[in-house]
Amino acid sequence: MKRLASFALALAFPALVLGWWEWESRQGLGHAYAFAPLEQIARSFLEMLADGRLALHAGASLQRALTALLIGGTIGIVAGVATGLSRVLDRTASPLITVMRQVPILGWLPLVALWFGNGDGAKLLLVSLSAFYPTVLNTQKGMQAIEQRYAEVGRLYGFTRSQSLRMIAWPSALPLIFTGISQALAFAWIATIGVELLFSASAGLGTEMMAAQVAARTDIVLVCVACVGVMGFTLNQLFALLRTRLLRWQPATAK
Amino acid sequence: MTDHRPLRGPATDKAARRTGAVRISGLSKRYAMGGKAMTVLDDINLSIRPGEFVSIVGPSGCGKSTLLRLIVGLDTDYDGEIRLDDTRVAGTGLERGLVFQDHRLFPWMTVAKNVEVALLNQKLPRDRRERVISEHLALVGLSDFGDAYPHQLSGGMAQRAAIARALANEPKVLALDEPLGALDALTRVKVQAELQRIWMEAGTTMIMVTHDVDEALFLGDRVVVMSPRPGRIARIVDVDLPHPRDRASPLLHRLKDEILAELTREPREDDGTLVTFPGRPRG
Repeated sequence: MKRLASFALALAFPALVLGWWEWESRQGLGHAYAFAPLEQIARSFLEMLADGRLALHAGASLQRALTALLIGGTIGIVAGVATGLSRVLDRTASPLITVMRQVPILGWLPLVALWFGNGDGAKLLLVSLSAFYPTVLNTQKGMQAIEQRYAEVGRLYGFTRSQSLRMIAWPSALPLIFTGISQALAFAWIATIGVELLFSASAGLGTEMMAAQVAARTDIVLVCVACVGVMGFTLNQLFALLRTRLLRWQPATAK
Repeated sequence: MTDHRPLRGPATDKAARRTGAVRISGLSKRYAMGGKAMTVLDDINLSIRPGEFVSIVGPSGCGKSTLLRLIVGLDTDYDGEIRLDDTRVAGTGLERGLVFQDHRLFPWMTVAKNVEVALLNQKLPRDRRERVISEHLALVGLSDFGDAYPHQLSGGMAQRAAIARALANEPKVLALDEPLGALDALTRVKVQAELQRIWMEAGTTMIMVTHDVDEALFLGDRVVVMSPRPGRIARIVDVDLPHPRDRASPLLHRLKDEILAELTREPREDDGTLVTFPGRPRG
């Protein structure tokens, strides 16, 4: 009963917005352009679903985001472990990373376009960069926060350096590494849509949005917007489930 | 008495045990604090027989935990000598174990994996290793909890698991640093009895630091009473009573009064800690 009530409450606000939207769309032609009627949006959605356009673009965006997450996340974790363990590497690389991080991803756009053009490689590079920052920073923090208490246990049992790394440093850093990956996932998804909007060359939800805007098809823009929102939400939820499963050794209070 | 570890040498037979003697002579330990040298331990001399249970009591600041850290080799900077069976202690080694006040089980490993940690650097075949693990879980009464994670255990169970880990590689000497300090009174009494049984079965030399005089007397063959600033041995009390012991023994009560008198004798002005004694875990 309680769950039902909270579910109804969660739906109340969106329903209100939709009602207001529909009302706006009926206030003359100009309004109908900016606020495409719900019925038309629904029709476009079904149409795009039927002719496979939605799957094509959503799939392309998803693939781009996940590939970049894999590339940027892997490099980020490796760099985070390295700078977390070696003070020399930390001193050399960390200031540069911190400075680079101040530049928004889209701030690199002119340079990347100049060097790599506006093809898939350039997009992948930018999205990977957005996934790199949160993973490298969190991994580094996790590796540096190894508790002395556990290191002493390792010393008692004569752990080698590799055993300390595998059995103490890595697992104790894991919660923060997962925090980094989940941030990277969110950033990568946002960055994917961003670069697709600006580098409109191949398939992708952002590209489709841009094309729809040029063609004055607000309804299609809205279908894409909704799709980006729902997919981003779903990705984050799925990752949260995976995280809980992999970190089941954590006491409930630490989650 | 059942021999719970038939796999390894004759050393498991307590009567035949010859190794595990600790000899501490002229041991001093100084810290530099704010540019000033502070003496934590001053001229400690103590000889511990193989298989003996020695309790160490004393107020906060008497250096008893430092003494254990020196014995297991987590701290190697000291004057004087610590020898285990004629070998000078220099750094940690598998023949010397330590149970901390906080159990220090790795939270990311199951209880069985935590026990296995102690065996990582022992070249045991896989099936033998499994057997050692299950035998030690049985020894501390946690056979059904091998697959549990530490956060799923109660405080007493976690501390027993830590004891299983510490004993798994059969150290000659096991140091226990207020192992039961964090437990509630009832659990504490139960685990004390467990510890007595485990010690009798394993036959390992044990050196336990505690704040609790009852506990020290119930378990110890001898009780070392220390005084603070600098940490010195004030007295060594023989507890001439066979194990397993009865808590109600009049001898234990008489010795308790003696030790308490020793501990509360002429408290110095700068030493507020004596007031809280006994029974308070270190803050």
